[in-house]
Amino acid sequence: METEPEPRANGTPPGGGPADTETGLAVRGLVRRYARDVTVGPISFTVAEGEFFSLLGPSGCGKTTTLRCIAGFEPVDEGIIELAGRRIEKVPPHKREIGLVFQTPMLFPHLTVSDNVAFGLSVHGVPRREAARRAAVMLALVGLSELGQRRPDQLSGGQQQRAALARSLVLEPPLLLLDEPFSSLDLKLRVQMREELRKLQRRLQKTTIFVTHDQTEALALSHRIAVLSGGRIEQIGTPREIYEQPASRFVADFIGNANLLEAEVLGWRDGIADITTESGLRLQACAAAAPTARRVTALVRPELVRIGNAAASVANTFTAEVTEVVYLGDEAQYRLRLGVRAELLLVRKLTGGSDTLAHASVVNVGIDPGDVVILSR
Amino acid sequence: MLLAFLGIPLGNIGVLSFFTSSSARLWSPVLTTANYREIADAYFLDLIGRTLTIGALATVICAALGYPLAYYLARCSRAALAVALFLLIMPLMVSAVVEAFGWIAILGREGILNTALASLGVPFRIDVLYSQWAVLVALVQLLLPVMTLPLMSAIEDIPVRLEEVAWNLGASPLIVFRRILLPLSLPGLVSGGLLCFTVAISVVVTPALLGGRLGRMLGNEIYDQALSAYDWPFASSLAMVLVLIVFAAIAVIVGTSRRRQSRRGRA
Repeated sequence: METEPEPRANGTPPGGGPADTETGLAVRGLVRRYARDVTVGPISFTVAEGEFFSLLGPSGCGKTTTLRCIAGFEPVDEGIIELAGRRIEKVPPHKREIGLVFQTPMLFPHLTVSDNVAFGLSVHGVPRREAARRAAVMLALVGLSELGQRRPDQLSGGQQQRAALARSLVLEPPLLLLDEPFSSLDLKLRVQMREELRKLQRRLQKTTIFVTHDQTEALALSHRIAVLSGGRIEQIGTPREIYEQPASRFVADFIGNANLLEAEVLGWRDGIADITTESGLRLQACAAAAPTARRVTALVRPELVRIGNAAASVANTFTAEVTEVVYLGDEAQYRLRLGVRAELLLVRKLTGGSDTLAHASVVNVGIDPGDVVILSR
Repeated sequence: MLLAFLGIPLGNIGVLSFFTSSSARLWSPVLTTANYREIADAYFLDLIGRTLTIGALATVICAALGYPLAYYLARCSRAALAVALFLLIMPLMVSAVVEAFGWIAILGREGILNTALASLGVPFRIDVLYSQWAVLVALVQLLLPVMTLPLMSAIEDIPVRLEEVAWNLGASPLIVFRRILLPLSLPGLVSGGLLCFTVAISVVVTPALLGGRLGRMLGNEIYDQALSAYDWPFASSLAMVLVLIVFAAIAVIVGTSRRRQSRRGRA
């Protein structure tokens, strides 16, 4: 899986420095209050022009609310939203010129696919003939050129969603909002649509905010990701930063598999912290600065745990017993018991046919201090 | 079964309308077209014209008032819906006679409306009772639920997201209404309108109590011909005219919406 999309061909990679607020989107201190003390925000982030930015989080984390505030369907109780340097939080939705694609395609059932795509153009006063021509170009771009005269219910789910995307893109919006656009599709189609969207985004360089609860989608597509929880942003970073250097326990747990070990800091010297977990493991962990808290959470990704010969050369070595084996075809997941109480999850890619560890076998386990991330609790 | 209940009396009236009236036996079985020729008189044509005008106006006003109401009902919370539906349906449970007397109390020369106007110092009175306007007002009140309920269920079937999509694509609320809501809720509007119009042109009680001489409608004439003049053949021919108008209205509206649909299908 490619986790780092290539930067824009021209200029600085999006998400590098501070976003160029003259052309991109800036959300500052956005707050939306619902009845019964449910509040989203304050949320602040910027999206550079041409950047693919994801809002990732579990359901109810506020990501869709944030998107609806930007589109104008939810009133903003506090804060500002700037698009290309223009304040838009009080502009009515039909004057914001922001594209939006919902979870379900929501094509107008009484219009043909082509008329659906041309709808926005005709509302903006583009002559019928010209609107139809531009709709046809856009339909070709999403691979539906043959289906323009069909009615929406004659299209498959994936085709409908592509038509919905074309309907938004034909207006050439400065900002495109995607609200879990693939979640109504089955898994195989979802993966295919994800690839198509990625190619389209590369080609159009469209500033995009993508809302999803699917971490794989977010990692595969985004220049940067904001992880949300409980109405607040937990972390903003590139897919690699989010995965390898999570800022909080929540982010570490939400993205990918994680061994999260509650631990206590014993000492710190020369970039190495000495910690002991509640389950009784002594570990050395790389830390640029001394941890500020005594009680921390240590993160070890299951695929970074070493076994066998590779385990011998690292600072933290243990003997472990395999207590559970889960075979997943391309990889295997093992549960290891270290000592009396400590448990560790291990994931191994299966390259040959016979390299799975046997149940109840005893193995050498190693953890490189560089693979341990110390999170404050 | 349904066809029999509808067809047998209707056929009976149809046959009756070609009989000759007889003062001794209500009718004599001598075939004639005299009853229909009699309708082609200025008085009766005027009566039919007024009936159609009142029916059409009541339908249009009901649609104009009913659409926003139906939209609200289709989009409001469940709790609000329960209260609003109760308020809307309650008048249907009250007899048209009782409602008509209510309107007499409101619209009369010394009624609530004029008393209120006088106490506010308004120098004129609204004198609509015993005219077609009083009938129209009462009919709108009577028929509003009949228009609103089918319209409400049609709007309920349109997802809110669909409106949001159109809005997002640059359509102002008015354009969203004209290009998305209206075409998609047209079946509800058509069935509500047909029900409304059909009931409106065949009412008897409302114009009898509120219409006076000016607001006389076809239903009153049929009633009087049958029960006061005892001219059953002529009453039957008038009834047949009413039935034909209703059928024609249904045929025209269903025909146009069919043609619209097939045109959309081809497009």
